[in-house]
Amino acid sequence: MVGAGRPSRRAVLGAAATGLAGGLAGCSLRGTSAAGDGTLVQFVANSTARDSQDVINDALHEAGLSEDVFVEILAVSSSTAQQQYSQWLSAGLEQPSLLRVDNGWTIPFILRDQLANLSEEIPEVTSRIEEEFFDAGVQTATGPDGGIYGVPLFTDFGLMLYRKDLLAEAGVDAGDWATSPPTWERFSSVVAEAAEATGTDHGLTYPATVFEGLSCCIFTEFMATWGGSYFGARENLLGSVGERPITVDSQPVLDAIRMVRTFIRGSDDPHALDGYAGGVSPQAVLSWDHQTALSDFSDGNAVAHRNWPYSILRTGAEDAFGEDLGVMPIPYSVPPEEAEFDGMGGPRSALGGWHVALNPNARNREAALEVLQAISQDDFYLAMTEEFGYVPPKPALLESQAARDIDVVGRYVDTLKFAGERAVPRPVSVVWPRESPRISQRVSATFAGDRSPQAAMSALKSDLEQIEQSVPEARP
Amino acid sequence: MATDTHRGRGSEAGGSSGILTGATRRIENLSDAQFAYLLLAPMLVLMTVIAFWPLASTFWMSLHADALFGADALGRFVGLENYVALLTGEIDAELTRPFFDLSNPFTSALTVTFIFVVVSVTLETIIGFGQALVLDQDFRGRRWVRVAIILPWAVPIVIQGMLFYLLFQPGVSFLIDPLQSLGIFSATPTINSVDSTIIVIVADVWKTSAFMALLILAGLQSVDRSLYDVARVEGASTLQRFRMVTLPIVLPTVLVAMLFRTIQSARVYGLIETVSSCSTVPSLSCLVVSTFSARQYGTAAAIAFVTAAVIAILVMIYVVTYADTESGVI
Repeated sequence: MVGAGRPSRRAVLGAAATGLAGGLAGCSLRGTSAAGDGTLVQFVANSTARDSQDVINDALHEAGLSEDVFVEILAVSSSTAQQQYSQWLSAGLEQPSLLRVDNGWTIPFILRDQLANLSEEIPEVTSRIEEEFFDAGVQTATGPDGGIYGVPLFTDFGLMLYRKDLLAEAGVDAGDWATSPPTWERFSSVVAEAAEATGTDHGLTYPATVFEGLSCCIFTEFMATWGGSYFGARENLLGSVGERPITVDSQPVLDAIRMVRTFIRGSDDPHALDGYAGGVSPQAVLSWDHQTALSDFSDGNAVAHRNWPYSILRTGAEDAFGEDLGVMPIPYSVPPEEAEFDGMGGPRSALGGWHVALNPNARNREAALEVLQAISQDDFYLAMTEEFGYVPPKPALLESQAARDIDVVGRYVDTLKFAGERAVPRPVSVVWPRESPRISQRVSATFAGDRSPQAAMSALKSDLEQIEQSVPEARP
Repeated sequence: MATDTHRGRGSEAGGSSGILTGATRRIENLSDAQFAYLLLAPMLVLMTVIAFWPLASTFWMSLHADALFGADALGRFVGLENYVALLTGEIDAELTRPFFDLSNPFTSALTVTFIFVVVSVTLETIIGFGQALVLDQDFRGRRWVRVAIILPWAVPIVIQGMLFYLLFQPGVSFLIDPLQSLGIFSATPTINSVDSTIIVIVADVWKTSAFMALLILAGLQSVDRSLYDVARVEGASTLQRFRMVTLPIVLPTVLVAMLFRTIQSARVYGLIETVSSCSTVPSLSCLVVSTFSARQYGTAAAIAFVTAAVIAILVMIYVVTYADTESGVI
C-alpha cells in the first residue's frame, strides 16, 4: 500500500537505481567558456605554449594578426599528440582549428586527407615558404600533390654541444668547429683526452634508449655522417615506399654501428673500429632519453653532448656554462663526395621541428588562416627564438642582425644555419610508425652488444622489407 | 478568468498526479522478480551503451583491414584474416614485437604475458599467504607490521614504476654495479628484455602481495579457533594443523584471490610503461596499445579480442580445475 505523504520503499529504490545509472553515465552539466568579444581560434600545442599564451598572442599581433582575433592555446603531451589528433580529425571536430604537428608525422596525416591544403587556402604564404624556408623542413610538410599542408613553426637540427673550457684545459683549440666540425675519429680522441685530463666522467653522451628519437634522429645521424641511410639516396627517404632499396646492411651503416660500439663498449669489443676512442661514452646512454642525457651534461659530467637547439638556451645561459659552451654540427667520417649514397656523408644533422596545420573542418577558418599568415612572419619567428630558443625555419633570418642580437642563441646562429642546410629528414611514410620501433629495438640490441652489427642489420632489413611490402597491398 | 486559469492548472496537476499514481500502483503490483528486473533496467541500458555496444563495435573493427591511406579509420572487410595473420605470425614484422615466438620468449607478447602471469601470481600467493599467517597471529606491534605489509598496496602505480625505474637506472642506482658483477643483470637492465621482465615482476610482487595477504587474512580469520584446539588434543603437528585445518578452509578464498590477480596480471600495461617500455617488455596489452597508436585499428581490435580469449582460458582453468572445491566459490 502506498502511503499518502511519503514515498514507498520501492519508489526510493527505483530512484536510487536510476540515479546510480545516471551517475555512472557521467550525466553532468558542463559549462562552456565564454569566448568574449572578437574571434577565438583554438590552437593545440604543448604546455609550454599554453603557459605562454599571452606572449604568443602578443607576438602574433605584432606580426600583423588582427587585434580582434585571439588564439586560445590547448596543451597536449608531445608523446600522445599524434594519437589524440588522429582521433579528433577522424571524428570531424571543428575545434581545435590549428594543430601543432611534428615534422615526423605530418605526412601520414596528409596521406589520410586529415589536413587542409594551405597551397589552396593561402598560396601567397606557401609560395614564400617554398622559396625562403629550409628545404628539408618544407619537404616534410609537402603532400604528394605538391601542396604545402603546414606552416613551419620552428625547426630543429641535431647539434653537438661541448665544453670549450674543458678542451682548453686539455690544450685543444676548437676555434673553428662552429662551421667546420672535425671527423668522428678526431673528435672522439679529443673529448676522451679532455675527459681524462679534466677528470670529467664522460667524453661524449647522447640519448640512445629504445625510443623514436633513436630511429628518427640519433641513428640517422650516425649513419648519414658515414654516408649511409635506411633507404639509399636522400631522395628515397620521403617517397617510393615499397619500391625503394633497403640499405641498412650496407657497409657505411655497419661501420657507423661499429663506431658507436667502440664508443660505448670500448676498444676490446669484437666489432670495435681502430682509431676511435674506446669507452668515450658510458653504457648508461643506452637507457637515456634527451632529458636524462642533457641533465648529465648540464651537471658537468660530460665534455660533449648531442641534443637539439633548445638545449642551447639551458646550457649556454650565463648561470650555466655561458660562453664556455661550444656548439657545432655533428662530426663525420666520410665526406659527401665519397659517400655511398647521394645526399649523405659529411656533417649531417637529423631534422626535427614542428609545423602548424589547419584542421579541414576548422571553425573560424578565416581567422585561423590569418593566424597562419602571422606565424610565417619574421617578427613572430624572432620572438619565438628569444622566448623559447626555437630556431627560425628560414635560413636568411639566421643571417640577420636581429637573430645575432638574441641573447644566448644569437651566438650560435652560424652553426644553426650550417646544420639546417645539411639536415636529413627521417623517412616518414604511412608505415614509419611500424618501422621506427623495429629500428630502435634492433639498433639498441647491437649497440648493447647483444647482437653483432651484421646480424642485427640483416634482421632489420628483413623486418623493413616485410613492412614496406605491405604498403602496395593497402593502397586504395 | 482567474478562476478558470486556476481550475485549468488544477486539472493538469490532477492529470499528472493520476499518471503518477497509476504508474506507482503498477509498480507496486509487480512480483519481486519483475521489480528486480525493473530496477536493473536502467543499469542494463547503460551497460548496453557503454559495454556491449563498444564490445560489438570492436569485434566489427577486428574484421577489417588496417587503413594506411585516406580518411577512413578502417580498410576493407577481411573477415577473420586479422586473426589468422596474428596467430600464424604473418604480421609479426608489422607489430612492435612478435605476437608469439617461442625462440625468443622474452620478446614476444604471448610468452611475456604468460611468464608474467605465472611467476607473479605464484610468488604473490606464496608471499601473501606467508604475510597473512603472520598478520593472523597475536603479537606486540602487530598493527605496525600490518601497516608495513599493506603500505606498498597504497603506492600509486606511477610512483611504484618510478621507484623501480630509478633503482635500475645506470648512473643513478647503487644496485647496477653489484648486480652486474654478480652476473645477475646487464649494465642497462631497463632496456634488456630479460632483465626488465624480472624487474617488472619484482615490482608487481612488491606491491600486490599485500592484496593477496589481505584477502587470505580475511579467510584465515573466519577459521573457527576451536578446530585448532581439537587438532592439538589429537596430537597434530603445526604442519598438520595447517594442512588439515587451515588450508582446506582458506583454499576457496586463496583461489578467488588468485583468480583476481590472474585476470589483472594478464592485462599488465601501466607498470611496464613506467618501469621499462612496451618495446622492451611486450605484454599483450602493450601490443594492443602500440598497434592502436600506429592507427592499425583492425589489428589492434583483433589482438584485444585474442587477449580477452587468453584471459577467458586462464579463468576457465581455475573454474574447471577447482569447480569441485567444497565451498564451490568459483
